[in-house]
Amino acid sequence: MRMNQLVKLALVATVVATGSGCSTIKGWLGVGPKGGLDETHVSDVPWDAETGDIIGGAGSFAETRERVNGVTFAPVYFGFDSYTLAPMEVSKIEQVAQHLMQNRSHVVLIDGHCDERGSNEYNLSLGEQRAQTVCGYLVSLGIDSGRVQTRSFGEEKPASSGRSEEAYRLNRRGEFGIYK
Amino acid sequence: MKRFVWGVAVLGMMALACGAADITVRGTGASKDAVSLSGLAGSGEAGKLFVQVLQGDLERSGWFRIDPAGQIQVVGAAAPKADGLAVSSQVSWPGKRLAWNRSCGSRVAEVRRLAHQLADDMVTHIKAERGIASTRIVFVNRRGPNNADLFMCDADGHGLVQITQDNVAAVGPKWDRDGLHLLYTSYIHGSPAVYRFPATGGRRVPLAKFKGLNTGAAVSPDGRTVALILGGTGNPEVHTLDLASGAVTRLTQTPHAVEASPTWSPDGSRIVYVGDASGAPQLYIVDVATKRSRRLTYNGSENVNPSWAPTGKIAYASRRGGSYQIAVLDPAAGGEPDATLTCGPDHESPSWAPDGRHIVCSRAEGSGRSSLWILDIQGDSPVRLYANPGNWMSPDWSDK
Repeated sequence: MRMNQLVKLALVATVVATGSGCSTIKGWLGVGPKGGLDETHVSDVPWDAETGDIIGGAGSFAETRERVNGVTFAPVYFGFDSYTLAPMEVSKIEQVAQHLMQNRSHVVLIDGHCDERGSNEYNLSLGEQRAQTVCGYLVSLGIDSGRVQTRSFGEEKPASSGRSEEAYRLNRRGEFGIYK
Repeated sequence: MKRFVWGVAVLGMMALACGAADITVRGTGASKDAVSLSGLAGSGEAGKLFVQVLQGDLERSGWFRIDPAGQIQVVGAAAPKADGLAVSSQVSWPGKRLAWNRSCGSRVAEVRRLAHQLADDMVTHIKAERGIASTRIVFVNRRGPNNADLFMCDADGHGLVQITQDNVAAVGPKWDRDGLHLLYTSYIHGSPAVYRFPATGGRRVPLAKFKGLNTGAAVSPDGRTVALILGGTGNPEVHTLDLASGAVTRLTQTPHAVEASPTWSPDGSRIVYVGDASGAPQLYIVDVATKRSRRLTYNGSENVNPSWAPTGKIAYASRRGGSYQIAVLDPAAGGEPDATLTCGPDHESPSWAPDGRHIVCSRAEGSGRSSLWILDIQGDSPVRLYANPGNWMSPDWSDK
């Protein structure tokens, strides 16, 4: 049985980033149960060393940190099936960057979302890519990649429940959550 | 055990709504073998249920029709005994016969399961095909934003069970090869992570909780490796996770494209997946050993949700003329179908039954609802899995 493997801490390792700073990742493996529900199953070697992608350590900001209430930023909107940044949206990210520079203890979790059209699974990946695009721009503005995390909800958490083009537009977004 | 008595609605109207050109293969039913159940006496509530379930299973198998004059005959008795049901029967068909004597407890689920076993044994022995009556289908009910749970039912739509009670987003449930465990993506801890757990209840074990996206888990045919999508490298890519060692290997490397929905070939040497390197989601196949990918589909503005049958055929949702419809292609033969199995409203998320003949998929019903339907590539009319309304989606058919 694996009962004794409940608290199998993940390895901590560093990664040499390539391309976007957002490919420098701190990942995490089940670091213990919440409410006694889970136990880890995976082994101590979470990544193939050959690929250089060994990661581990801290958990998601949403789990390990405290949400900063009262600090909100406008969502970044995307075109249909697109994860490129429209010029109009860039200044929204710059405002977040400015906040992070002025509040060194703050970090940001970017949630990527999609409209409901298309495959749920593809939309999860598309939402991740949208969040990664925003992340990449923040890092290019000088924000340490360790202060930025991404999370995709795909089409699972729409901001607007309608089925109009306007509702779809509002749902194709990247949202900022500030944590400390 | 809660008893569900939802009926199964067979809506031939759905097939009629499609033009003949939309049906890949149009069966007439003439090729079905006639089975007589007249000699099988079902007594008591359980015995009658046994015969009724058996009849439904044989018809759903696609290989049989019920006919009192049928050459295939099931004779014997399904009768109550002290603590359940005893079946003493013999199946005979030209030149052969099969003695079938089993018993079970008195619960409805046990009686139904026993009938499923006889139906599957008949398909195996008489038709040399894989029966599906004993299999199960898992799926998602999405109630609203970040609010969903997993459910499962038998292949005949009965025995519906709510598996999770989390009220958070749940995506892409897939059966493990043992037919006993499930893998899926859940947000129970806030971020998308892949979990595995026994379908009948038990511990939920995280398989992949890396930073960023963890989703799309599918178990290899030998049960040793999980294909999945990880976003941790800065971009969602297809990876494999070796269950024994925990080693993760990246199979795709497309910084300017996203991948989704990996599905194993029957021999485990290749994985079909969705990638959008061309600007829209299309199907690609990657060789697991060489990591070489090739694009598989061009026909249709989008092609998503691949499911690879034991026969080698791939079912998928193809966007044609503004809606998603279920299509089937054979990568060994090459080429893509002009016709789709379905038409009308969106049909998505096909999943093959282990017989390689039937496919379960979701069908948009409007007003944010969707239903689950079973398609037959040999042309029998689509069958609705069960009648109750909801937002049922992402079905996956068990191997066993």
